[in-house]
Amino acid sequence: MCKTLKLCVLTAALAAVLAGLAAAADVTAVNELVDRSLQWNGKTVAIEGEAIGEMLPRGNYAWVNVNDGTNAIGVWMPLADAKKISVYGDYHHTGDTLRVTGTFSRDCAEHGGDVDIHSDSVQIVKTGGAVGHPVSGGKKAAAAGLSAAALLAALFCFGPRAKRR
Amino acid sequence: MSGVTGIKRQGSAALVGYYTGWVVLAITLLMAVPLLTSLLLREWSAALDFVIGMSVSMLVSCLLIACGRAARRRGAQLDWKSGFAVAALSWLVLMVLCAIPYRLSGHCQSFLDGCFDVMSGFTTTGLVLTQDLDHLSEGLNMWRHMLTFIGGQGMVVLALGFLGRHTSGAYQMYCGEGKDVKLLPNVKNTARIIWRISMVYLLAGTAALFVCGLFIGLPPLQAFLHGLYIFESSWSTGGFAPNTQNMMFYHSFAYELITMVIFILGSLNFGLHYAVWQGKRVEMAKNIEVQSFVITSFLACALAAAKLSQLGVYTNAVSVFRRVVYNVLSAHTTTGFGNVYARQFANEWGDFGILVMTIAMLIGGSACSTAGGFKGLRVGIVFRGLVADVRRVLSPERCVHIEKYHHIQDCVLDDAAVRSSGLIILCYTALFAVTTLLGVWYGYPLAQSAFEAASATGNVGLSIGVTQVSTPALLKVQYILAMYLGRLEFLSVFALIGYVIGGVKKTCARH
Repeated sequence: MCKTLKLCVLTAALAAVLAGLAAAADVTAVNELVDRSLQWNGKTVAIEGEAIGEMLPRGNYAWVNVNDGTNAIGVWMPLADAKKISVYGDYHHTGDTLRVTGTFSRDCAEHGGDVDIHSDSVQIVKTGGAVGHPVSGGKKAAAAGLSAAALLAALFCFGPRAKRR
Repeated sequence: MSGVTGIKRQGSAALVGYYTGWVVLAITLLMAVPLLTSLLLREWSAALDFVIGMSVSMLVSCLLIACGRAARRRGAQLDWKSGFAVAALSWLVLMVLCAIPYRLSGHCQSFLDGCFDVMSGFTTTGLVLTQDLDHLSEGLNMWRHMLTFIGGQGMVVLALGFLGRHTSGAYQMYCGEGKDVKLLPNVKNTARIIWRISMVYLLAGTAALFVCGLFIGLPPLQAFLHGLYIFESSWSTGGFAPNTQNMMFYHSFAYELITMVIFILGSLNFGLHYAVWQGKRVEMAKNIEVQSFVITSFLACALAAAKLSQLGVYTNAVSVFRRVVYNVLSAHTTTGFGNVYARQFANEWGDFGILVMTIAMLIGGSACSTAGGFKGLRVGIVFRGLVADVRRVLSPERCVHIEKYHHIQDCVLDDAAVRSSGLIILCYTALFAVTTLLGVWYGYPLAQSAFEAASATGNVGLSIGVTQVSTPALLKVQYILAMYLGRLEFLSVFALIGYVIGGVKKTCARH
């Protein structure tokens, strides 16, 4: 009985991992879409990446730029979906990670030939947050030492004594 | 006699260092702007990068000025060769110093990549090796775009603006940066006029992009910063943008149109701007550079649009205008803004599209502007020279033709003008050929290698995908060299090389 239970648990875990891998495999890299844009044009694709910059609203829709680490692409999505995104990536933040499913266009007729994805569904896989940029002690010391040296050099070079020399 | 010459030469070398020190100092002081930006936006780590960069640059500039001061007091004069060497040396020293904040930011994988991006900025090229642009500090973004703005006008031009009484060979240094139009009799006032023209456009262009940015949904601070950055890039025909996607980030036809107007204006001669400002509007129609630009850009746009439409790459007029005309004009003005991905050029545009872009990039914008390339003036002069020669052959022997062209004033087309223009075009072509060859040596296809070489040589910045972090180091160095030579139009760099070789020979003779 115990053995059967263990087997069931293991099988379920394996199935979950495989399902996860299968889902990950469904995701297409943005660079792959760009590199073989003729092949992917008009097809339904899924990408997963970080929302970056800002939401650019256009009426009931919005542009959200998504960077998956290989490249970035504009996603045209309903405004309601875009509003669910709480954090956009910049220097101080890592943006929400989105999983977008939609139609890829290499020459979008609606958007003046844009390379874009018109979303069917947008999922927030991981919420973004603030990024710390710790400053090392070495950098602080170097900055202090060098700025003191630069100040002395400037005094030597342009100070009142230099004018008399 | 030889002793006197020796003293003069020593003094002259020290003087080159002295003036280089002042140019370095001018740019060092400007690092305060990105430092302040970082402090205001609480980017502490980035702020320290600029403190370190500023301090090192200050130390170097003080050292150069201190070493050269004695020579200046002895009355050493800056001759043509020395003036050219100052311009060439300043660009090299500043490339290294300005790369310090890049490297410290962690966004460049090597110091060479940092130097590459700085040279790309200074030369208004726009090729990028800095990684993860979407998470760059605003301080570094400010610095990147300032470098391209300063480079467009000229670093020596900037330094001349406030050097005051420190310059004796100002005109030589000014010409050394590839600029030769004297807007006013005094070269320092000419430098100031160039900056005044640029600052007026800066205000108007940034305001237009700011308003457009607000309309497309950017928050006010971002609309302002993006407006400023994109103006600096467009006016300087640079091509840097604060995001990975370059112009594709904005998804806006209006934003693209505004940048198009700005980069076309930026690619025009400062002399032409000044003439129009003074009410001589007819100059726009009569100027040989404008005529040359209109003809070559129309041909390039028409040929590329016709071929890409025939291939079915773009299916409607709006797409053709936004993707083809925009990118061809961006290439022709040597701006390098792109609203298609680099790999699309390689995979979709075909050999004909790549060839048209390559030629447009090599021709470039106007002389004494922020643009690179052969320059429309030289293309126009060589073409007129060719026509004149054909006419001379076909005319009776007793008939004497005097060919003229209009460039700010009426000029006689003599053999010397045709020869000097032809020589510079030849130098560009040789540099382009060597750079292409090296790309092919490293295994890149010929068309792609030629495209990237034209982009570096012509200071354009559009990439077909060759310029990457993984690009061989020697090829990166060659691209740096191509950008540098292309921007300074060879003579200054030759003067600097002459200086170095002369120095080495003298040292060898002494020992």
